Order: sequence, then C-alpha cells, then structure tokens
Amino acid sequence: MTTAPSTPRLTLRLGRFCYLALNVAVVVFLLAPIAIVFVFALNPTPYIQFPPVGVSLRWFEKFFASRDFMNALWLSLEVAAMTTIAATLFGASAALALARGGLPGSRVITAIMLSPLMLPAILTGLALFQTYVLLDVGRPLWGLVLGHTLVSIPYVVRTTLAVLQNFDTRLEEVARNLGAGPLRTYFEVTLPLTKPGVMAGAVFAFIVSFDQFPVSLFLVSPGRETLPITLFNYLKFDLDGTIGAASVVSILLAVLVVFGLDRTVGLRSYAKL
Amino acid sequence: MTTHLPLNRRQFLATSAAAGIGVLAAPHIARADAATLRITGWGGKWGQTMSSELIPAFEKEFKCKVETDSAFPYLPKLQASPRSAPVYDVLHTNSNEQWAALEMGIVEAKIDAKQVPNIADVYPYAVSDKMVGVCIFTSAIGLGMRTDKGYGKVSSWKDLWDRAYDGVRGGYVIPVNSLGQAFLMMSGALFGNGLTDLDAAYAAMEKLKPIKLVDFTGTMEKMILSGEVGLAVIHDSGILRYDGQNQPTTFVAPSEGVLSLEQVLTLTPGTKVRELANAYVNYMLRPNVQKTLAESVWYSPANSKVKLDDKYNEKLLTTPEKVAKLIQPDWKWYNARKDEIDSRVNRIFRA
Amino acid sequence: MNAARAGITPIAWLIAPSALLFALFFFLPMGLMAMISLLTGNPVVQPNVEFTTRYYRRILDDIYYFEVIWTTLRIGLLTTLAALLIGYPLAHWMARIRGRTAYAMLMMAVLTPMLTGIVVRTFAWMALLSDKGAINQALIGLGLISKPLPLMYNEFSIVLGLTHIYVPYMVLTLVGVIGRIDERLEHAAQNLGASPLRAFLEVTLPLSLPGILAGSLLVFALAISAYVTPILMGGFQIMTLPMLIYQQISSSFNVGFAAALGMVLLTISLVLVIAYNRVLGLVSGQRDLQ
Repeated sequence: MTTAPSTPRLTLRLGRFCYLALNVAVVVFLLAPIAIVFVFALNPTPYIQFPPVGVSLRWFEKFFASRDFMNALWLSLEVAAMTTIAATLFGASAALALARGGLPGSRVITAIMLSPLMLPAILTGLALFQTYVLLDVGRPLWGLVLGHTLVSIPYVVRTTLAVLQNFDTRLEEVARNLGAGPLRTYFEVTLPLTKPGVMAGAVFAFIVSFDQFPVSLFLVSPGRETLPITLFNYLKFDLDGTIGAASVVSILLAVLVVFGLDRTVGLRSYAKL
Repeated sequence: MTTHLPLNRRQFLATSAAAGIGVLAAPHIARADAATLRITGWGGKWGQTMSSELIPAFEKEFKCKVETDSAFPYLPKLQASPRSAPVYDVLHTNSNEQWAALEMGIVEAKIDAKQVPNIADVYPYAVSDKMVGVCIFTSAIGLGMRTDKGYGKVSSWKDLWDRAYDGVRGGYVIPVNSLGQAFLMMSGALFGNGLTDLDAAYAAMEKLKPIKLVDFTGTMEKMILSGEVGLAVIHDSGILRYDGQNQPTTFVAPSEGVLSLEQVLTLTPGTKVRELANAYVNYMLRPNVQKTLAESVWYSPANSKVKLDDKYNEKLLTTPEKVAKLIQPDWKWYNARKDEIDSRVNRIFRA
Repeated sequence: MNAARAGITPIAWLIAPSALLFALFFFLPMGLMAMISLLTGNPVVQPNVEFTTRYYRRILDDIYYFEVIWTTLRIGLLTTLAALLIGYPLAHWMARIRGRTAYAMLMMAVLTPMLTGIVVRTFAWMALLSDKGAINQALIGLGLISKPLPLMYNEFSIVLGLTHIYVPYMVLTLVGVIGRIDERLEHAAQNLGASPLRAFLEVTLPLSLPGILAGSLLVFALAISAYVTPILMGGFQIMTLPMLIYQQISSSFNVGFAAALGMVLLTISLVLVIAYNRVLGLVSGQRDLQ
C-alpha cells in the first residue's frame, strides 16, 4: 500500500489564503450595508448622496425627539420580549413533546409546527385580523404578540429539536437507572443540556419579532405601531437619515444583547448545537 | 446543580391572563370619559401639522379623543371590519380609493350638507358628480423636473416620451398609485381619443420604457432631489413643498392640462359618532384650518373663501378660473376595469 | 427499559399548549382564508356570499400568473444557492475557529445584519446600488465607467438583498451541524494522505449534508415568501407572488383572489417541504428534519 503524495506546501498555503480571503469577503459583504447605514446616519443631507458631505448628529436628535419613533422603539422591544417568552415556552415544550413524547405522526406534526414559515406573513396577518374581527376583540396588544409568537415558534422548535435529536440519550438512561423519575430526569438532565438550543431559538424569536413587518401591518393599532412599520411609513414621506439613526440605535442594542448572551450563556455552546 | 425553567409556567399563564384582561379592559375605561373619533392620515409634514396643531385644537373644542391610523393600507382594514363597527369613522384617502370603497358599501356617497355647513363654500369640483364625499384639498398632477441638468424646455406631457430622458424618467406603479392611474388615462387622451382610450394608453406606456417606477409620491420627491430622476410625473405639492430650500427643481403644468389629485373625506355608514365625524369634516373645511394645511404642504384648498399668503396664492389653484382647468378622471369607470388594466400594465412594465 | 421507545409518554402532553394555539390562531385563520378563496366575499363581514372557483380559474387562465410563480421560485432558488455558497465557508470557519473572542466577533458580524431591521437594511442596499449610490459614484469618480451601472431595480438586486438577509440564517444552521462533526475525522483522513481539500470533500461535506438541506429549506421558504425586499429592491418591475398578493389586498381589494394566490404559494411550499423531507430521509438515513 502506497500513501498518496501529500500536497506541496505552496498549494496548501494558497488554499488557506483563498479560504481566508473568501471568508473575509463574506464578512465584508455582511457588514457593508451596516457601514453605509452608519455613514448615512451621520450625513446631514436629507436624501441618498455619496460621497457624504459631513458629520452631523441631527438625525439622531430627530429620532430621539420623535415621540412616534420612541413609542415605536419601546413597543417593539416590549412585543419582542413578550414574544420571546411566549415562543420559547410554546416552542420548547412542543419540541420536547415531539422528541420524547412518542407521539404518532410526529413528523407531520413537526411539519405543521414549522408551517408558519412557509406562508407569506402578509396572509397570516390578514387572516389573524379577520379572526380577531370574528372574535370581536378589535386590535389588542395581545393579538399582535400572538401573531409574532406564531411566526417565531418554528425557530424555537427547530433549534430545540436539533439539540434533542442529537442528544446522547444514554445520559437520560443513566439518570433513570440511578432512580430519578421521568419528570425529574427532564428537569435536571434534559433541560439543562437543551439550554443552548432553547436559547438559540429564543434569540431567533427576539430577532424575528423585533424585525417583523407583514404580520404587524394589519395588527398594529393607531398610536401603537412597531418600529419596522413606523420606519416603512416614514420612508414613504421622508427618505432621510432618521432611518439611519434608528438603525444605528437598533444595532447598538443588538450588540449589547449579543454581548450579554456571550457573558451569561456563552455563545460557543451554540457551536455544539 | 439543578436548573429550572426561567419562568414557572403557571406564573407566566397567570401574569399573561391578568395582562390580557387589563389590556382588554383599558379601552372600556377610556371610553367612559370621552367619545373617540377614528380617522386616517398621512405622515410627513401633513401628519406633523395635524398632530401638533390641528388635532389637539379639535379635541379641545369638541371634547373628544382622536385616533389617527397612519399605517397603510387603510381600505383593506376597513373592508375587513364589520359594517356595524367599522375601524374608522372618517376615511381620508384619494378619489380612486373612495370610489372603490363606495362600490364595496363601506363609505357613504354624500356628505350631509346640513351637518357640514362649510360645504356650501367649496369649489364645484369638490362636490361634483365625479366625487364621493367631499374633497378638502387638491393638487395638480403634472411634470416635475431638474433645472440644472441642461434639459430643454418642457411644456407638454409628450416631452416625457423624449428619448433624451431615457434613464432619468420617473413614473408610478399604476396598480397601486392614483397618480399613475390618472397618468395612464391622460396618455389615452394625448395619443388617442380621450381619457378612456385604453388601447392608445397601453401603446403609449410601451414607448415610455425605460422608466423608474415608484409606488408613492414621497419616494418620487426624493428621487428628483437626489438626481436619480430628472423628469417625472408628480403633483405640484411634491415640488413646491421644497420652496425656499434652493432646490434645482421646478413644476411644469403641461399645456394639455393637469389632472386633479384629490384628498377626500367620507363617513362610514356604521360610525357610532356621526355628529363628531361631521364636525370633523366641517372643521377640515374651515378657512383657517384649510389655510394652515395648505401652506404647510402646498395643497390647493377646496374652500373658495380661503385667503392664502401671496407666495402660495401665485402657485396654487385658488381661483375659479384655475380650478376650472382641473381634469377629474372618471374613477368609477376606471375601478370597474382595474383588474384587467393592472394585468395589462404589470405585463407592459415587467423587466 | 428504554422509555423513549415505549410509546406515548406523559411528556407528550407538552404539545397541548402549542396545539391549542395553532388550532385557534393558525388553522382557524388559514381555514378562513382558504374559505374566502372559494367565496365571492368575506363571510365574516358580508351577508350573501356564494361559492365560486373564479379566483383559481383566473390563475389558471392567464399565463402571467405562472410567470409570477416561476419568478418567485427562481428568485428563491438563486437566493438559496447564493446563501449556501457564501454561508458554508463562513460557517466552517466559525465552527473551527479557536478563541472565544474571535468566535464572538464573528457571531456578532453574523447576527448584526439580522438585527438591523429589514426596512433599513434594504434601504442601505439602495444607498449602495442606486445610480447615485456609493458603488456607482465611486466607480464614476475613479473614471472606470461613464454611466451608472444598473445594479438596482432588477432581479440581481433582489437576489443580492435577499441573500444578504438570509445568509445569517444559513450560517447559524450550518455552524451547529459542522461544529458537531468531529475534527479528528478530517485529521484522520489527512493522516491517511488525503489533501485538506479532499478530506473536506469526502468527509466533512457529506456529514454536513443534513445541515445543508435544512438550511437551504429554511432560506428557500423565507425567500419565496419575502415581501419587503423585492418591493424595495426590484422597482416593481419584477413581480413576485407575495408582492402580487399584497397588491391585490391593498390596492385592488380582491381579498378572495389574494387568498387564492396565497393558497397556491402555501401548496407549493408544502410540496417542497415534503419532497425535501423525503430526500433528507434518503440521504441521511431516517434523521428527522431539523
């Protein structure tokens, strides 16, 4: 048996270089629009213009001074928080039931749980609006949270299922062999190990809710609009840097959230999802 | 080390139930105090003027609360709500949508002149037979252009078809925008035998490509300002409102005539606050209210008794002679054919 | 005793809250929409509505609607392919990188676009790609071109915009899967004489196939139901199914027709999910869809 000749050093170096270059290019691709948004948020002219003419904080002032934007930002955060909690609870429990419950037709049920992703959210929003009319409840806040939860649950289910299915079930067996009942096993063995999956799903749920547009379109009520709706409508009338300012604020909030997650849960655990 | 769920499920359910009841109860509590008028409104400068000055004044005078929905689209929400409990009491939108709404039976055809006395002072076009409800403001749809790009003199609608403007021509997505729809009809008149000559209009649209399409005038305004577009269909307000900012743009009223872009108010048949709704329509037709709004967004007021400052008076349509020249399209006719028109223009303009 | 294989366990009851939620607030509304697609009006608010198939007939009669469906699917496929080609290397890099800070920074780079907000992100692309935007002005300024390139308001910009939004979803799905592939397998292959490239192609890639399929399915499903980006980036000259549905609801007030179009989109998506599931099952041997 002969071993194949190993690759010459130069090719190896070139290969590594291409790999790195490609990845750096991808990161640049991901971040380029963000950079533009920063530039735009600081450029004083009230329309798209390049190169920028200066640095000014006027759009930030306008953003923070605007009652509409502040209310919208606050509402989006509130709704996202409530949605995250709801979607995590509903989604994680469903995933647990699907992975460990021995339900018949679990494949079909899983597909059903994932189906809100498939339908254009605008139809979901309209359909919910019609249902609220049917139930005669108007356009309440919980209706909006419900709509967001519905479209966020699939993400939590996905990530949690991914962990549960790749789980070393022997750990659970060991616990039971040591005398723990099924409920105790789940709370003290399964749940902690599932945490990264649930947390990843929760992050998705937060993002999906904060950024949600079509579902919110029909479900927001006057004076209680979410940030994406306010921004979209603002775009119709004023194509200026205020949206850039709004975005910069969102990004900074996001960075805080991600940092916080890293400190508490440790983002690295996602790698072993 | 044991870990428990961050929130005990029972606690969560209890809290959310309480919160849910609270949210549901709140409107009832609010209703006990004052009547609420639900209207629709634009954003931008109009929205600012309304929310900072005019709406608070109305609320004070009539001891009520006004809720303005500024999240498009309005008509589908009104369409989806029960006739006896509509989501709006007064609908503010353009003529084409008002006609569609009338067709669906969700707005009333005429305003009660006894409840809205100011209606006696409006120009004839505001209550013509081409009008549902009452028009409170109008604008002239014509051409907007850059003055610093060395374009020749523009005086006719047909200049838009000049090949020199390839790449900087601006228009609207016809299915969703009333300026686009009015412009389509105008093309029938320009190249055919009238506003209803659709075949001529379609042929004209084919020749209009390449063209940059937007769905809203606000976006068109910005495209002209940034230079992305050099000559476009737009209403006078979209150009004039930047007056004083030294923008290299101007509005051209084409020789063949300008079309009317109307801001129209109607009442919903199921409104529970009819008196208040009528009072609001009357309020919006008051000369001082009309003057404030007209001067903030450069709309032409429908009330003939309004006296605008000179610089506005010059450019806007404030005399019987000027308003007589406005072309009012037949929206009832257009809406009846909208589906086939949309299919056709979607095909024409696809990339 | 293996409790996992003993049939329904008490844990199965945990599905109840979600089942209730879905029944009341997903199936009921969707059922309503399906009904509306077969009625002349909205039964919730209008009295006399009748059964009709005219909306579906309208779709079948006019080839334009097939074009719209095909455009939607085509954009979905291109976006998925692009997201995969771009996202895989990045996911691989992230999964294998050493150093907690480096990982956190990459995660930040991936997550931040998602949190910028769909409206603003699309707007940022407009600022980059339009005639007066950054790229064209830079190229003109450098004298490389004289007229602006049409980078905006076409299918290219839509796919670009969508890819940018969905690459993070692809990356996050793949990072988990690749992370779970034991690196020692690649090392073993290399010790046996394979080049790193070959080790990758014959070891890592096949093992990551479930992740590839799951990520692709997610991105495809999201791309074909996207609305905001195609509208803002396509200049209305590219018509996708969600855009048409929105147009029908908001400007033509044809809820019935819109519902019919929506049902068509849903059916297409479901068929694709089922097909994917089958392929996934075949490829990875009975592993459930993630």
